[in-house]
Amino acid sequence: MDAGILDYSGEVRHRFETAPRHGRVLAQAHERLAGGAGEPGKGVRVEFEARVRNDRILECRFRAYGCPHVIAAASWVAEHAEGRALGELDWLDPRALAATLEAPAHKLGNLLVVEDAFRACVAGKPAAAG
Amino acid sequence: MTIQAPVYLDYAATTPVDDRVVERMVECLGREGCYANPASSSHGPGRAARGRVEAARREVAAVLGAKPTEIIWTSGATESNNLAIMGAARFHTDRGRHIVTSRTEHKAVLDTCRQLEKEGWQVTYVTPGPGGIVTATEIEPALRTDTVLVSVMHVNNEIGTINDLPPIGALCRARGVLFHVDAAQAVGKLPVNVDTLGADLLSVSAHKVYGPKGVGALYLRGSPRRRLEPLIHGGGHEWGMRSGTLATHQIVGMGEALRIAAAEQAAEAERLGALRRRLWDGIAGLGGVHVNGDAEQRVAGILSVCFEGVEGESLLFGLRNLAVSSGSACTSASREASYVLRALGRDDQLAQSSLRFSLGRFSTVEEVDYAIRVIREQIDRLRGLAPQGGEDGREAM
Repeated sequence: MDAGILDYSGEVRHRFETAPRHGRVLAQAHERLAGGAGEPGKGVRVEFEARVRNDRILECRFRAYGCPHVIAAASWVAEHAEGRALGELDWLDPRALAATLEAPAHKLGNLLVVEDAFRACVAGKPAAAG
Repeated sequence: MTIQAPVYLDYAATTPVDDRVVERMVECLGREGCYANPASSSHGPGRAARGRVEAARREVAAVLGAKPTEIIWTSGATESNNLAIMGAARFHTDRGRHIVTSRTEHKAVLDTCRQLEKEGWQVTYVTPGPGGIVTATEIEPALRTDTVLVSVMHVNNEIGTINDLPPIGALCRARGVLFHVDAAQAVGKLPVNVDTLGADLLSVSAHKVYGPKGVGALYLRGSPRRRLEPLIHGGGHEWGMRSGTLATHQIVGMGEALRIAAAEQAAEAERLGALRRRLWDGIAGLGGVHVNGDAEQRVAGILSVCFEGVEGESLLFGLRNLAVSSGSACTSASREASYVLRALGRDDQLAQSSLRFSLGRFSTVEEVDYAIRVIREQIDRLRGLAPQGGEDGREAM
């Protein structure tokens, strides 16, 4: 085994172990958005759910199948999405996220799947109120 | 009993040197030791060293049912495999340039065959039969009139299955084809007898059986009359087939390691078999866990399993308190699924979530129970983190 293959940053270790923001949101259908990206057969599948009101994310949760970087990235994205406007996406930059997580270059593809999953989530339309 | 993590469950990769072996090796080191060059027959210390080397040769030969002159010292099973395959192929070029082996051999065999292909030999790689076991049924159709050598391992290093070698040996004998056996994972775990197997060449290693790394041996039937083309020249050691000053302490360690392993093999197999069943019983209840390879025809200490619904790298990291081997070749850039597991028909997801647990001489019930607890916790946790079938209609994993 290559030395360092399981050598993760403290941020990744913490999020892998504790998985903050993992799970599902409890929300009325009209306040709930969901979306995902990736294929388990290709090693990554990420799904996000968000509780939104007035186009603002009140709460965000993730579920992820993938390497520790994917789990950590999904957790980080879910945490940092809360409080933001739905249309606000500039903050989500996979390269910056890779730097935050100290992820190696070959993991960038996995982080792009995390980004795709989040964009799919916020692009979804909540069910009509009522 | 306090468990000290990481718990070592990777005895098929290598083993610690047994204290009894260390004791013998130390006798050959230092100024008071038997340190002289075994080739220095002109003085007493040299002859003493030679005596230790030859005693070890007799030990190894006895374990394999061979004559001492049929044992050639090498640096390990990789070199033994190289010498057996390249040495036999190059020596017998006049007979033909075709070799038969299986897709699930160790890289030390496969890469050696690939090298010979670059030099003009043709190699047929047969797919194992059901359960990953190679039998004469797979080998026979691959034989040709110009086949020089068949090479099949005794025990698969990744999944622990035992190939059905005696019929292959008999087939080779009937066809006048040399039969090489990579027995690195078999010696000490099974009774290994070169006549029973019908082997003309057989590779063994010391470090798989609680001996030192850096020493191995190649059995060559009929040696030194029967010849191989050497890979290493200079000095004419080992009847001119493997030159280089003999490492007395390593060789003595190997002799003692194999002697102990053979003496304790039957009792150890029974103990390890019970531990392996305990491990399997402890994790099978998780569901979605599959044994890789035939469940019965396998050595006692190796359990290779794959887990549905968990990603391999996360699994390995989650289980970092267990020293186990994964079912994928980890590199900095990718995790390529094991070629052995793929040859068995496992898809990439299952191959990547495969783990090999290999138990050994110092494994305990407490360690196995600890491993079961950790595995159950991590599999449950990772499956819990994963999507279970999304709103977009995907199937649950």
